[in-house]
Amino acid sequence: MSPAVRTAVDLGRGLVLRNPLLTASGTFGYGLEFEPFLDLARLGGIVVKGISPKERSGNAPARIIETPSGMLNAIGLQNIGVMRFVQEKLPALRERDTALIVNVFGNSIDDYVTVVEQLEAEEGIAALELNLSCPNVEEGGLEIGRSPRSIEQVTHAVRQRTRRALWVKLTPNVSDISETARAAVSGGADAVSLVNTYVGMVIDVERRRPVLSHGHGGLSGPAIRPLAIAAVYQVCQAVDVPVIGIGGIVAARDVVEFMMAGARAVQVGTANYNDPAIAAKLVDGLVEWCAAHEVADVNQLVGAAQQ
Amino acid sequence: MTENRDCTVAGQRELGEDYFLLQVAWPELANQVCAGQFVMLGLPDIGEMLIRRPFSVARTVASEPGRAPCSFEILYKVYGRATRAFSRLRAGAVVSVLGPLGRGFWLPDESEHDRTEIVLVAGGIGNAPFPLLLQQLGPRAQHVSLFFGGRSREDLTLLSWFRERCQVITTTEDGSEGRRALVTEPLAEKLDDDPNRRRVVLACGPQPMLKAVAEICLAREVLCQLALEETIACGFGVCLGCVVEQRHPASEFERYVRVCTEGPVFDAREVIL
Ligand SMILES: Cc1cc2nc3c(=O)[nH]c(=O)nc-3n(C[C@H](O)[C@H](O)[C@H](O)COP(=O)(O)OP(=O)(O)OC[C@H]3O[C@@H](n4cnc5c(N)ncnc54)[C@H](O)[C@@H]3O)c2cc1C
Ligand SMILES: Cc1cc2nc3c(=O)[nH]c(=O)nc-3n(C[C@H](O)[C@H](O)[C@H](O)COP(=O)(O)O)c2cc1C
Ligand code: FES
Repeated sequence: MSPAVRTAVDLGRGLVLRNPLLTASGTFGYGLEFEPFLDLARLGGIVVKGISPKERSGNAPARIIETPSGMLNAIGLQNIGVMRFVQEKLPALRERDTALIVNVFGNSIDDYVTVVEQLEAEEGIAALELNLSCPNVEEGGLEIGRSPRSIEQVTHAVRQRTRRALWVKLTPNVSDISETARAAVSGGADAVSLVNTYVGMVIDVERRRPVLSHGHGGLSGPAIRPLAIAAVYQVCQAVDVPVIGIGGIVAARDVVEFMMAGARAVQVGTANYNDPAIAAKLVDGLVEWCAAHEVADVNQLVGAAQQ
Repeated sequence: MTENRDCTVAGQRELGEDYFLLQVAWPELANQVCAGQFVMLGLPDIGEMLIRRPFSVARTVASEPGRAPCSFEILYKVYGRATRAFSRLRAGAVVSVLGPLGRGFWLPDESEHDRTEIVLVAGGIGNAPFPLLLQQLGPRAQHVSLFFGGRSREDLTLLSWFRERCQVITTTEDGSEGRRALVTEPLAEKLDDDPNRRRVVLACGPQPMLKAVAEICLAREVLCQLALEETIACGFGVCLGCVVEQRHPASEFERYVRVCTEGPVFDAREVIL
């Protein structure tokens, strides 16, 4: 690794990552499962699987299917719940020399508040990321992340209860992602991460029904990268907080692309399945790219393609 | 221990139309893998294959007899994009491999072996995990019976290899090899033949066959292990994409178990097919 390239990035509220490479929620387990393959300390940070107030068993199979250059999933947010996360995972995770970001989801403001309050007393969490791509039981099942008003309310409610850096993860399944990004910022988000998965469906033409038991699922992987790049580019023009780019990253040049679109940091998702060490390799790849292009500090890439 | 590696292809052999035997060099894996365990196989360029594919380890190969194995084989059938790409690999090509993965078959230990008869049931390419099992049993393999069914004789790959090592009973749907029947027919007869014999049935094959085998065994209170298939994305337990439903979950939360981690081999009493 070339020492000449500076890699640290500032994501607001005093949170500085050693490099811009993070792993995306739901694709990196609770992080510890990846230790046989990479040193977590090489990464800017890890975002663990979404946590809800209570454990959830998830959807019936089939839950996943490959698609052209991507995959569709409807896992159903299976997770061990905040209590067990704190008891079983956090003690080991906080010993690791990497920024730990806990992804939180719920079906109501109360759900988010419950999880965040339980985490607040715990040491070793660098930031919270709110996944708002869930139906809101109080609003007749409309996805929280599709309503600017709900986004602002949830973000604001959480902001009142945490001193930590607060990120809001945006769904791309909206007509204007700038508007939802602004709602998150006015609710008090320190950064926004985008994108979550796109709604998609695959039909088994022999059985004449959707492949996934849930019907539709979330599309991820290189197939969504140009869509995600466009979303990041647009959101960076709409808000002043740091933007974290997500969607289809498989190579160092994809990281560079997101940063040039305006992202201060990035998250790698689906690619972790193909190569569990990829996030660390992308750190090296980013540094090599910068060195080869005489970029002394990765921050010089941020927004370089913005006009 | 599970590792992720780029490995060299040691060779590939076509076993009739659409069936291939791919040999991959990885001595450490070949020495520790158990029958029923699997690997994720991909191409080194992620752009060519985003999601790797799961394959049972079929056999291990030593450079000369009596030596420790230095490579392993995958026995597979061409279905779609990935398997077609693998079928074009030649010696010297590089593949990306994650393994060994999952929990394989559990066998009666040597002291119990004389008292427990091992019965294998394979449907088509479901024979893939069984060569390794017979290798691991060594001379004890000769007491094993393999019920091996397919649509046609072309589906019964490695048949003569199996015949040299264990008792093989074949069935085909078109009658081109063995009895014209589904493999479950002679299996049920066998179990009824000597109902008090202590047995364990190990089965691998298409879902309808596994379902039928499970029913036959459960009805007769014969121990039965099933090698299940589900769509696998990661293979090491993190995506939660590969689940099957448990029959007796300890709690609602434990309703689903992961094929890649808790399986792929399950006790037939544990899972709902
Ligand atoms: C634990 C396990 C062990 C297996 N062992 C063997 C083996 O030893 N030999 C063998 O020939 N086959 C084996 N399979 C099945 C093999 O993985 C599929 O045939 C292969 O993935 C097909 O890929 P494809 O791109 O050629 O076909 P595709 O066109 O992608 O699909 C053809 C069919 O393959 C299955 N499939 C596709 N993608 C996956 C995936 N990611 N995971 C699981 N199944 C998938 C689906 O049922 C699909 O309908 C095993 C599967 C599992 C789960
Ligand atoms: C199997 C799977 C599970 C996921 N689970 C979550 C989750 O629990 N919470 C969340 O915010 N995002 C989840 N995501 C979305 C990813 O974090 C990421 O936003 C998305 O996959 C796009 O990035 P990628 O193309 O690099 O995968 C999941 C994605 C996949 C593929
Ligand atoms: S395939 Fe990812 S958990 Fe089993």
